[in-house]
Amino acid sequence: MSHVSLSLIEQSLVTGILAGGLYGLLALGLSLSWGLLRLVNLGHFAIALLGAYLTWWMGTAFDIAPWWAGLIIIAVFFIYGIGLHWVFMRFGVTEMQSMLITFAFAVIIESTLQFLWTADFRRYETAWGTQSWVIGTLYVPKLSLIAFIVAGALAGATWAWLRYTYVGRALRACAEDAPIATAYGINHRALSFLLSGLCAAYAGVAGVFIALIATLAPSQIWAWVGVVFAVVIIGRLGNPIGALMGGVLIGVCEALTMAVVNPSWAPLVSFSVLIALLLFRPRWI
Amino acid sequence: MLLEIDSLTVGYGGAPAIWDIALKVDDREIVSVIGPNGAGKSTFINTIAGLLKPERGTLRLAGVDLGKLAPHLVCRYGVALVPEGRRLFAGMTVEENLEIGCYRPEARKDRARSLDRVYALFPVLRERRLQLSGTLSGGQQQMVAIGRALMAEPRLLLLDEPSLGLAPTIVGEMFRAIELIQSEGVAILLVEQNVGQAMEIADRAYVLEEGRIVATGLPEELLAQSRIKEAYLGL
Amino acid sequence: MDLTHDRIRVIAGLVVVAALLLVIPATSIAAYYIAFLYLIFFWISMATSWTILSGFAGYWSFGHAAFFGTGVYAAATLATKFNWPFLWTIPAAGLLAAALGTGIGWLVFRLQRLRGELFALITISVTFVVAAIISNTPIDGGSGVYLISVSMPELFGSQPGTIYALGLALCLMTLLITYGVYRSRMGLGLFAIHDDEDVAEVKGVPTFRYKLGAIALASGLAGAVGSVYSINVSYVTVGETFEITTIMYPVVMSIFGGSRHWLGPALGAIIVTVALYGFPAGPEAALARGGVALGLILVVLLLPGGVMPALTRIWQKTAPRNLVPIPALPEPLVPAPRAEEAALAARHATVLQCKDVVKTFGGVQALKGVTLDVRQGEILGLVGPNGSGKSTLINVITGHFRLDRGTIDFAGTSIGQLPAHRVARLGIARSYQIPRPFNRLTVLDNVALAASFGDGHGEDEARRMAAHWLGYTGLARKAFDYPPALNLHERKFLELARGLAARPRVLLLDEVLSGLNNTEVDEALTLIRDIRDRGTTIIFVEHLMRAVNQLSDRIAVLNGGALIALGDPKAVMNDSEVVSVYLGKAHAS
Repeated sequence: MSHVSLSLIEQSLVTGILAGGLYGLLALGLSLSWGLLRLVNLGHFAIALLGAYLTWWMGTAFDIAPWWAGLIIIAVFFIYGIGLHWVFMRFGVTEMQSMLITFAFAVIIESTLQFLWTADFRRYETAWGTQSWVIGTLYVPKLSLIAFIVAGALAGATWAWLRYTYVGRALRACAEDAPIATAYGINHRALSFLLSGLCAAYAGVAGVFIALIATLAPSQIWAWVGVVFAVVIIGRLGNPIGALMGGVLIGVCEALTMAVVNPSWAPLVSFSVLIALLLFRPRWI
Repeated sequence: MLLEIDSLTVGYGGAPAIWDIALKVDDREIVSVIGPNGAGKSTFINTIAGLLKPERGTLRLAGVDLGKLAPHLVCRYGVALVPEGRRLFAGMTVEENLEIGCYRPEARKDRARSLDRVYALFPVLRERRLQLSGTLSGGQQQMVAIGRALMAEPRLLLLDEPSLGLAPTIVGEMFRAIELIQSEGVAILLVEQNVGQAMEIADRAYVLEEGRIVATGLPEELLAQSRIKEAYLGL
Repeated sequence: MDLTHDRIRVIAGLVVVAALLLVIPATSIAAYYIAFLYLIFFWISMATSWTILSGFAGYWSFGHAAFFGTGVYAAATLATKFNWPFLWTIPAAGLLAAALGTGIGWLVFRLQRLRGELFALITISVTFVVAAIISNTPIDGGSGVYLISVSMPELFGSQPGTIYALGLALCLMTLLITYGVYRSRMGLGLFAIHDDEDVAEVKGVPTFRYKLGAIALASGLAGAVGSVYSINVSYVTVGETFEITTIMYPVVMSIFGGSRHWLGPALGAIIVTVALYGFPAGPEAALARGGVALGLILVVLLLPGGVMPALTRIWQKTAPRNLVPIPALPEPLVPAPRAEEAALAARHATVLQCKDVVKTFGGVQALKGVTLDVRQGEILGLVGPNGSGKSTLINVITGHFRLDRGTIDFAGTSIGQLPAHRVARLGIARSYQIPRPFNRLTVLDNVALAASFGDGHGEDEARRMAAHWLGYTGLARKAFDYPPALNLHERKFLELARGLAARPRVLLLDEVLSGLNNTEVDEALTLIRDIRDRGTTIIFVEHLMRAVNQLSDRIAVLNGGALIALGDPKAVMNDSEVVSVYLGKAHAS
């Protein structure tokens, strides 16, 4: 093994933490819909990437700034989330079925992206996209930092919402015992529509940042599935702060393995953590 | 009359579990429904709370037909359920559980006062307000379940086997609390297997057996009848 | 019995089709079609092997790619680095993958919580871990492995011909094995595990062993298939071997075709493969993928069992036939006395002895040292208020819960620590208060399962016995219905039939009467007496006291986890402690 300098470790810590912000952003919606609605949404990654493509497309074809594009995407995705949940309710879809259906959704979105914009790589070029702050020897990319801050703000706000508002607490109550929650006046249906819409909207937010930070290709959808699932479980289902912290943990693990050993060992770390968690602490879930 | 039930029939998947039930609860009254396990007591009480839909018959609370309401609207008319086995939201704190109780808009306004009322009734809950409810002892969990119902400021409190799985001393404590609640002006419909306690506390009682009401009257009258011994001991 | 017939027909049919397909490479057909057919064989094998564990037993695995990839790289390594003759790598790849699968199963199947989506999650994680290990060790090294120089015998004058033949052979083998499992006791057991694993175990299904067997077969087949795949592509990379399609397509194809039928996955594989690979790359291919995905959504939502069951339904409507004819009924069947019973023939000899039985759940003692003997040939009524520990006692006796302290002896064997399926085989059976039939097995198969695993019959014999017991309990007409179509009364009697079919020495009846009307109760009482008169000891949990007093030879009363009275019904029910438990202190005079 080659000599690893201290500054390399520090830089990978920063990179890892910031990458964790994006993971957390992606994990947030997945964690909420799995934990509180008992639906496993593989399509989450696909609509995040769809959001990224839409951001790129609106930006390059119509010159719409990413933040305006983001607003449109969030609104549209919110409605999509409600529609998706309507389908799930209408057909009484189980957890396993939801996995299959949303996988199929993901494939449809992937094919559509490929059909519209081919399988080539796309890059959203902006004047400020690659700027960084330099602190000592460390580079802090501005966009990644913003993504991290947004992830933190969203996770924090969602956590507070679930904890301190009537509606948020009602959602948690429904996840534990829906009939009893109903007996206390909670309209389970209406709230689950709201939550499903919100999860999709979070995917839209993630999408905007993906467009700005990453290179886009339709098959990118599948690159996240494994890692973000690990993040969601490690952070505990339905726990927004946990999702972000899980993202940071995995991000740092990956960045350190990349710096110290070899980039391709990175998945081993996150999935070993996940397997160990499932085997030895099954109550964690 | 607060609650008026007439020829109520409820079933699961076609097979009725209770038939032709007629029952009344007046304001400030404690009414017990006793009967052996499997008699249909829980089905009955869950129907009043809106968890099950009646197949036939009427359920009127102060003139409002509860059977026609969407399940989440029933509690707005002043019904609160303490379900069998407590069914707390185990991953939420004591206070969060209580606050679910005052979810309905009319009760939210009085949140602070209702919390004080519950904590006055069960002081131990105030100490444990930030503890996860799933980690409480059985008796404390039952207190949370009753407290949660009180937070909804009910006119009619439905209690489903509050003594289930509790030690005798705690059962006594629970029934004293129930009497206290009644003295504050809440009518109580109590479903119990524990005949002794249920009869002691009741103003009137009904005997439910195999899905039908087979006897009704004052507790002491019923206890004197051989009917109850028959139902419980088969003698 | 038509079953043997069915077996011969299916096996012969498969062999004939395979033989016909084997002729194709010898014709002058274009190489493209040979390659395409190989692809179909490949996916049929993948999807069908996946279904042995995941479709039959309901343990959805996303780890099939891990087993497949193990096979791919086992073959690549053995053929290139160790210069094995290629054909030998096929069984080696299969064995290695099977070892990996069995190892994972051995770890995971002991943990009850790792069912459903958590099993899916752990298997997908294993896939990623295996991929990371292979890519970072000399097995692959990150640059892929070339198999171009690996030599192979040439059938039909070309290497693709050999690959075609190997693919076909593996496909045939997979289908035969899957069919074999489907039609065996193991298949019945796996289906029961899918519907309700706990009940399956209590009915005598060795669930752990069966799941392990199923994952071994599934992973072994996938590994062998991977070996042939490696030579077909001749250059293997981690990226392609473990890509998401390899993980998901076996699942998708099986669900599409119908994962509870042995032929369903094959049908799904053919449909999906033709739709996906029928187009070369380009926009049409993308659209085809989207189309398949849309089809999957429609199948999941509208045909939850998949295409195959839907087709069979149509087929059966046009040509109704029953696999198993119902024997002439009613034909009262007297359970032949077992050999051991002669030794215990004397009534009143103790057959089951609980000593100081303690069971604790999270600090709460549900049973606080219960000592109780059950005598040969008696009906023992077990009563007590809600939460008094009756259900726990039943669950401890049947082995569903392990004992925390004390002993339970059954006819000379200590059963307190035995797993439930062993207890069931020793001759203890139970019914459930709320009937828990296997909802996706026919009424007949529900009972046949109990006969097969509780009483040790082969499959055909078990069905014959099951038909008898259905006649005995008056359910003969419902033999080919599914339990959800039965009313409560019939489901209660199905519980009873399942209990009887195991021909137990001791039968525990958990509130068989609740929810029945008066005539139905009387029917049930007659039946229960009759069962006892045929030599079965009965423990009878019931709240309907009229029935308990009528029926029981002795009554045991539990309260708060302790036995408070045991003896003659009249005496027990007049016991002041018992009366006070039920009616309150004031009344216990």
